[in-house]
Amino acid sequence: MIDITLKVNGSEQACRVDGMTTLLTVLREQLLLTGSKRGCDYGICGACSVLADGRLARSCLLLAADCEDRAITTIEGVAEPDRLTDLQQALVDAGAVQCGFCTPGIVLALEALLDVDPKPDETAVRTALGGNLCRCSGYGAIVDAALKVAHG
Amino acid sequence: MVGFHKPATLAEALALLADEDARPLSGGQTLVPMLNQGVVQPSLIVSLGRLRELRGITRLAGGAVRIGAMATHAEIATSTLFEAGQTLMPRTAVQIADPAVRAAGTIGGSCAFGDPTADWPVTLCACGALIELASAAGRREVPATDFFQHYLQTELQTGELVTAVTIPPLAGRGVYRKFARVYGDNATVSVAVILDVDVAVEAGRCRFVRLAVGSVGPRPIRLTAVEDSLVGRMLDAAAAEAAGAALAAEADPLDDLRGSAAYKRRILPRLVQRTLLEGINP
Repeated sequence: MIDITLKVNGSEQACRVDGMTTLLTVLREQLLLTGSKRGCDYGICGACSVLADGRLARSCLLLAADCEDRAITTIEGVAEPDRLTDLQQALVDAGAVQCGFCTPGIVLALEALLDVDPKPDETAVRTALGGNLCRCSGYGAIVDAALKVAHG
Repeated sequence: MVGFHKPATLAEALALLADEDARPLSGGQTLVPMLNQGVVQPSLIVSLGRLRELRGITRLAGGAVRIGAMATHAEIATSTLFEAGQTLMPRTAVQIADPAVRAAGTIGGSCAFGDPTADWPVTLCACGALIELASAAGRREVPATDFFQHYLQTELQTGELVTAVTIPPLAGRGVYRKFARVYGDNATVSVAVILDVDVAVEAGRCRFVRLAVGSVGPRPIRLTAVEDSLVGRMLDAAAAEAAGAALAAEADPLDDLRGSAAYKRRILPRLVQRTLLEGINP
């Protein structure tokens, strides 16, 4: 086993992992940050999305031992405790959550978009969501919420 | 138990990779899903994340562009160093998978996997790219058209690592068309074109063309006889579709979840035609 230190949501966390342990497994099973969901475990569904150094990443495709030099933000760290980001509030207001399984990944994909493109058009929003599957097929309300928070 | 090393130098990485049970880790977009599914079971993972010499995109004297193996698809998609026909590179990169995969996945990792339904093999064959390989024993360069050999089989030997990809200077403009079932999927059929047509004296006359098709067989298909037959003639819809038909005759696609072999062969000529015509009339 390998002893590593991860920087997650601004705090340093000591973990013990195997070489092939993914970041998702560490987040969920060691750090008990279960907002990142294990959908497919091979990089298709986007439910495990996190930000690594501010960029969207699939935590199921990152090896924990390879993440020591990256700042990780999970859904638990996007807003202050007991607060919502403007985007999260817009998703609530738009009724853009059905079963909710995809929602953490959707929030991080859209936060990553808004960080580099604060006024995206609908095509940019849909492209940003291209790697996030919502099997309730609730994309319409999700896209509406993203456009509303960007354009008012 | 799988070991993990993140060496600081390429020499150290190559020494570790001499072990046939070691696997290099770049962006992880192929290796990690295979680990998660138990398809590969290495004894050691060698992260390339600290190797500065594998990063970056640089324009060389003479106009070639050298792309470090660890350059991500997103970096290639947004690079302004590609000129004229080399613009096939960013136009391909932006169509790979989805934003998260483009931000992490690297050109070297994609090449090493050698999946003929991926986007880089067909585009690199069209470009006449050179793939640079290194091992503890030394370095060599292999043309992309020789590197990609069969389903998930490349010229890479045990202990060798893809270190860079070099794109020669190319005239004209690049166009990449990918027909996929859904956004983010691998290609059902893909076409990579570099085309230079006369715009003044004899508008529409083809001066230079590179044409390759992907995902329709064990390796990309590029027929120099077809390219030669187009040079010097007016490139109209009929000539473009005839070129596509010639490539379809050489195609050897699989029946798989992306479509039957007959279906892929059938859509190929029209996709080639559309891609060539887009090269003339952007």
